[in-house]
Amino acid sequence: GRPAATLEMFPSWPMRFQQTPRGSSKSGGESISTDSGSALNTISSGKAEASQSQLEQPESPISNINHIKPSASNQQQSVEMANDASRTGPSSSQQNQNHQSAAALTDAKPSQEKRKGPGSTSDRQLDAKTLRRLAQNREAARKSRLRKKAYVQQLETSRIKLNQLEQELQRARSQGLFLGGCGVAAGNISSGAAIFDMEYARWLEDDQRHISELRSGLNQHYSDGDLRIIVDAYISHYDEIFRLKGVAAKSDVFHLITGMWTTSAERCFLWMGGFRPSELIKMLISQLDPLTEQQVMGIYSLQQSTQQAEEALSQGLEQLQQSLIETIAGGPVDDGMQQMVVALGKLENLEGFVRQADNLRQQTLHQLRRILTVRQAARCFLVIGEYYGRLRALSSLWASRPRETMISEDNSCQTATDLQMVQHSQNHFSNF
Amino acid sequence: MQYQTESWGCSYMPSSRGALGGDPLEHIERLASENAVVIFSISSCCMCHAVKRLFCGMGVNPTVYELDEDPKGKDMEKALMRLLGTSPAVPVVFIGGKLVGSMDRVMASHINGTLVPLLKEAGALWL
Repeated sequence: GRPAATLEMFPSWPMRFQQTPRGSSKSGGESISTDSGSALNTISSGKAEASQSQLEQPESPISNINHIKPSASNQQQSVEMANDASRTGPSSSQQNQNHQSAAALTDAKPSQEKRKGPGSTSDRQLDAKTLRRLAQNREAARKSRLRKKAYVQQLETSRIKLNQLEQELQRARSQGLFLGGCGVAAGNISSGAAIFDMEYARWLEDDQRHISELRSGLNQHYSDGDLRIIVDAYISHYDEIFRLKGVAAKSDVFHLITGMWTTSAERCFLWMGGFRPSELIKMLISQLDPLTEQQVMGIYSLQQSTQQAEEALSQGLEQLQQSLIETIAGGPVDDGMQQMVVALGKLENLEGFVRQADNLRQQTLHQLRRILTVRQAARCFLVIGEYYGRLRALSSLWASRPRETMISEDNSCQTATDLQMVQHSQNHFSNF
Repeated sequence: MQYQTESWGCSYMPSSRGALGGDPLEHIERLASENAVVIFSISSCCMCHAVKRLFCGMGVNPTVYELDEDPKGKDMEKALMRLLGTSPAVPVVFIGGKLVGSMDRVMASHINGTLVPLLKEAGALWL
């Protein structure tokens, strides 16, 4: 892409001084500014220094800054200073002169203070406070430029890497290494995976409803009979997702086993295409009601048996992997196709393992239902639902958290960012 | 014919050969009744490996018959498929001479707490 397009995305440059603003663009998750003045650089050069020269335009952004909400926290301080300065400073006609003289003062790198106009000239008597502000301004601008440079370099490297990957992919495709079913168009997921993702999204919506019902059932002290209906419905709800996963495993087991259907945090802790039952039990142990001795024994027994079952399945999968490695590692060149056919046959076993893992998960939930009373089970499933809901919310927040390169280390500004981010993700917390 | 004793981390007894002829299902049932825990397996099958590891992890020594190493193996495999009604035919587990089933039944019974009493009853597990 053109460097200009790249730079437009850089959020810490809220320039409105360009003649043809290109509209706003936001960095990932940073919602501080709703103003279109953010990131409006239309410069053609990719270099930070060159971009700076454009900032020396006579049209001072100072008059505009008063109307702009800062688009990045590292601009906040300098813009506030600019506002202060422009309020007390001379008329705008003097700003042009101030630009030139200010440029001479600095190390030839234009800084924020130029755009502040009046307060930055050598003509005036500057008090200590203003001097300090100016120095901070310069420092912030300098850091900002360095970050921008680093970011641009990162983008350029990524672009090159992407090109390389695309070429490799093209090469591999032309060599016919992608057989039948997996040769879907680049970037698309298989239809089986797409269908499952849709079904899973619907299941998640249902999950929210079930959780709400569990919560109100408990809070409003429903009778055991009424609670039982809700609890059993929740079990059926989970039975349903395991059934859907079974169908999906037939058409695209990789989609399930790599966790592409789930959120990043869940994916991180994924075991054989889903949650690890023994981990769920471990999480629940501290959350369940006071339990009878028999129930405690039952829970610990369940923890042990799930651990043993997980271990057995994991070892089976390990052997499958070993077998696959032996099949495709090395071997005679002219046997390539046969080798692939054998390997494909082995891969088919993956479906069985994901199915057994889901079976284990399903059995675990059913056993919990058996061990606990209706009310305990309601609480237990509420905990489970809320737990995974939080894990999903965590994934979203993580994805939209402010990155190091975009935001200054100024703590006061970061607080504002955090608050905004939490508000932005409010919908994830609507149930809590 | 001797079976190779492979180490699964626990020892298991190679089977002794029964009558050469006869109905494969009867043959299976006879083999199943000879030991507390009997697993019909295929040596290259990874799910069979998993079920063996499950029992060994519990401290049980299963008797394993590798159908791909048995001349009657093919017939036995077909008989098991008819018995279970599903494919694959293996792994299949018998405890105390009685059919428990495939991997999913074995795991379900372990999770719902019925496997251990069954093993104790068959004398495969103490404590």
